[in-house]
Amino acid sequence: MTETLAFSSEAMKKYEWLLTRYPTRQAALLPTLRIAESEFGELGVPQMRYVADLMEIPPALVFGVVTFYTHYRRAGVGTYHLQVCSTLSCALRGAGDVVQRITERLGIGTGETSECGLFTLSKVECLGSCDTAPVIQCNDDYHEGLSLEDVDALIQQLRDEAGKGSA
Amino acid sequence: MSDTSNELISWNLNGEVVQNESGMTIMEAAKAHGIEIPCFCYHPGLSIAGNCRICMVESNRSPKPIISCSERIAEGLEIQTDSEKAVDARDSVMEFQLINHPLDCPVCDKAGECVLQDHSYEHGPDRSRFVEDKNIRHTKELGPTIDIWGNRCIVCTRCVRFCDEISGTSELCVVERGDRSVVDVFPGIPIDNAMAGNTVDICPVGALISTDFKYEARVWNMDRTTSVCGGCSRGCNVEVEALDGFVKRLMPRENLDVNDWWMCDHGRYGWRHLYADSRQVTAQTTEGSVLPAEASKALQQTLESSSSTGFLVDPFMTCEELHLVKQLADSMTGSRVAGWLPADGTEESFPGGFTISAAKYPNRKGVEEIFGADVFGSAASTLLNDIASGSVDTVVAFVGGHGFDGAGAEWNAALSSAKNRVVFTTQQGAWSEGAHLVLPATAPLEKEGVWINEDNRAQRVRSCRSLTDQNFPSELVILQEVQAHMELRSRSLSAAGVFRELSESSSAFEGHSHSSLGDHGTPLSQKPAAVGSEGGES
Ligand code: SF4
Ligand code: SF4
Ligand code: FES
Ligand code: FES
Repeated sequence: MTETLAFSSEAMKKYEWLLTRYPTRQAALLPTLRIAESEFGELGVPQMRYVADLMEIPPALVFGVVTFYTHYRRAGVGTYHLQVCSTLSCALRGAGDVVQRITERLGIGTGETSECGLFTLSKVECLGSCDTAPVIQCNDDYHEGLSLEDVDALIQQLRDEAGKGSA
Repeated sequence: MSDTSNELISWNLNGEVVQNESGMTIMEAAKAHGIEIPCFCYHPGLSIAGNCRICMVESNRSPKPIISCSERIAEGLEIQTDSEKAVDARDSVMEFQLINHPLDCPVCDKAGECVLQDHSYEHGPDRSRFVEDKNIRHTKELGPTIDIWGNRCIVCTRCVRFCDEISGTSELCVVERGDRSVVDVFPGIPIDNAMAGNTVDICPVGALISTDFKYEARVWNMDRTTSVCGGCSRGCNVEVEALDGFVKRLMPRENLDVNDWWMCDHGRYGWRHLYADSRQVTAQTTEGSVLPAEASKALQQTLESSSSTGFLVDPFMTCEELHLVKQLADSMTGSRVAGWLPADGTEESFPGGFTISAAKYPNRKGVEEIFGADVFGSAASTLLNDIASGSVDTVVAFVGGHGFDGAGAEWNAALSSAKNRVVFTTQQGAWSEGAHLVLPATAPLEKEGVWINEDNRAQRVRSCRSLTDQNFPSELVILQEVQAHMELRSRSLSAAGVFRELSESSSAFEGHSHSSLGDHGTPLSQKPAAVGSEGGES
C-alpha cells in the first residue's frame, strides 16, 4: 500500500448521506463497507483500517463484521468469486457435485484461489434462490438451475471473458 | 449486573414459592436461593450476551426452555431448573459444545478450573456421536502476554465484551461465523492493555492462555494464599498461587468494594522481583554474615550503642511492622521516625470503572495513621537534616517493595552518609553496601498483616511463603525479638496479636481485628459490631 487510501468525493457524499439514515455511526457499517468495496475493489487489511478510522469504530469490529459475511470481497479473492450455495435445497439438488466439478476443472478446493488468479471457490449459505437450485453466485450475478454441463460452460465463458482462453 | 429495585416478586422455583427483588434475572435470583444454574457466556461484570444457551430452564410461560441469564423473574413465573426438559436442553447444548472441542484437557492449562470441563463432567455425554472430522481453528499470539488456542474457544464473547466494556480497548473480535468462528485481533493491532490478563481469567475454557503461566503448573497442585496486591494503593484482592513454594501466578479475587473481579497486569505479573538474583537473603555486618538466630541481637546491640536513632519506614510495611517500630522508637530517647515514598507512577482509569493508582505502594495511609500525617513531609526533611548534621548517628531504614531503586536517590545518598546504618532491604544495592548491619526484608507478597488502601480500607495481607520455606525471620519476628532483648515485651505474637495491640493503643484502629477484617477488608472508619453484642455468638 504505497498510495494512501481515501474515498472519492462522490463516495464520501454517499457515506455522509448514509450516516443520516442510521441511528448510530456503527449501524452504517454494512453499507459503508459496500462503498469501500466498490471504491477499493476489495476489503483487505488497509481497506478495513480505512473504514474503521473513517467511522471512528474499533478496527477489530470491522474485521469481525467483514469476516462474518460471505458477501464481502476479501483480499486475495480471484477475479471471479464462485460462491456455491450449499444449503438444503441446493444440497438436495446436487450442490455437492457442483463443488466437486469445479474442483476437478480448476484444481481448487473451497476457500482456494486458482493459480491464474481468476477463480476463487467458496461454499456459502442459502442465496435465497431455492426455487432455482442449485445456484452459484459469481461476483454479483446468479447462475441458476445448474447442471454439471452448465458449470463447465460457465467456467469457459468466464475464461473467455477474461480474455485468457484455455486449452 | 441488573438494575434491581426493592419491590419483592413472588415466583416459583422448583416447586417452592420464593421471593426476590424485581429486576433480577432468574439465574441471579436462583443463586440467591442456593441453586446454581450453569453458565458460560454470563459473567456478573459484563453485559448479558445470552449466546451459549447452557443456562436453559423450563418455564410455565414458554413452550420452549428459556435462558435464565437474561430472562427476569416475574410474578407467578414458575421455573424448573432440573426437570427432564431443562436437563435435556442443557445436555443437548453440551453435546453441541463438545462437537468440535478438542477435549485436550491433559495438555490444557485451564484443566482443573475449566467451566466447560466441569459442565462436561456433570452434563456431558460420556461418548460422542460425532463421527465427522473436528474442524481446526487458529492457535496464535494475540498479544505480548496472551495466546489463543482457537480449537478450544466456545465463542462465548466474554473476552470481547471485556475489552469493549471494561478496558475499553476493543482489541478483540469474533471472526468468521458458524463453526469456524473464533476470537482474533485486527491484523497488526495486538491485545496490549493494562487489564488484558483478566480476559484469560474469565475465558471459561482454555482458549485464552497467559504466556506467563503457560505450562508452569497444573492448577490443582498449587497452594493458594488469600491476599492483597501491593502494586499500588488500590489494593486489589488477589489469590497468590504457588507451586512448591514458588509463586506461579496472581489471580484477582472478587471484591465489589475494591476491584470488582479484576486486577491490572502490572500487579498480576509484578512478582518476579521475589526471585531476583539481587535479593538480600542473609544478614550481614561489615565483618561478615550473621546467623538468623543472631540477627536480632546484632540489631539490639547497634540500637543500644546509638545515642540518637532515626527510623526510616516505607509504605510497603504492614501496620503491625509499623506499630512495632513505633513501640521501639517510643522507648528510645532522642529517636525519631520519618518515611520515604517511591516516586509516583501514572494513574490509569478504564471505562468499566477500574482505576490503577499512581501511588505504586500499598500502605501510605497506614504509615500516616500510625506516625502522623507529616511523616513523609516535615518529619522526612528533619531526618534528612539530622543525618546531614550528624545529630542522628544511627539510621534504621526499611527499603521494601520490589526494592530495585532502594529508597530513591535522595534517601539512598543520605543513608550512605549516615554514621551508622541498619538496612532492612529486599534487594542489594548502594543503599545497603557498607552498612553496619543489613537484614533481609520481606517483599509485599511475603508479609503478614494489614495494609490500608487509598480509600482508607483496611485489608489483610497474607504471606505466600509457608513457615517452612521462610529462610530468614521476617521483620515482624525480628522487631519483636529486639523488643524482647530490650525487655519491652515478654513474648512474641503473631501478626494478629500485634494488630490487637495496635487496635488497643490507637483510636483509629480501635475495634478492628484480623478476624473482623475478614477476607474483604473493612473501611477503617466502619467499626465492627462488638463481639457478643446483639446476641451474636463469638
Ligand atoms: S476466547 Fe474464551 S472468552 Fe473469548 S470467546 Fe472464546 S471461549 Fe469465550
Ligand atoms: S491496580 Fe494496583 S493493587 Fe490492583 S492489581 Fe494493579 S497494581 Fe495491584
Ligand atoms: S438453498 Fe441454495 S439458494 Fe436457498
Ligand atoms: S449463560 Fe445464559 S446463554 Fe450463556
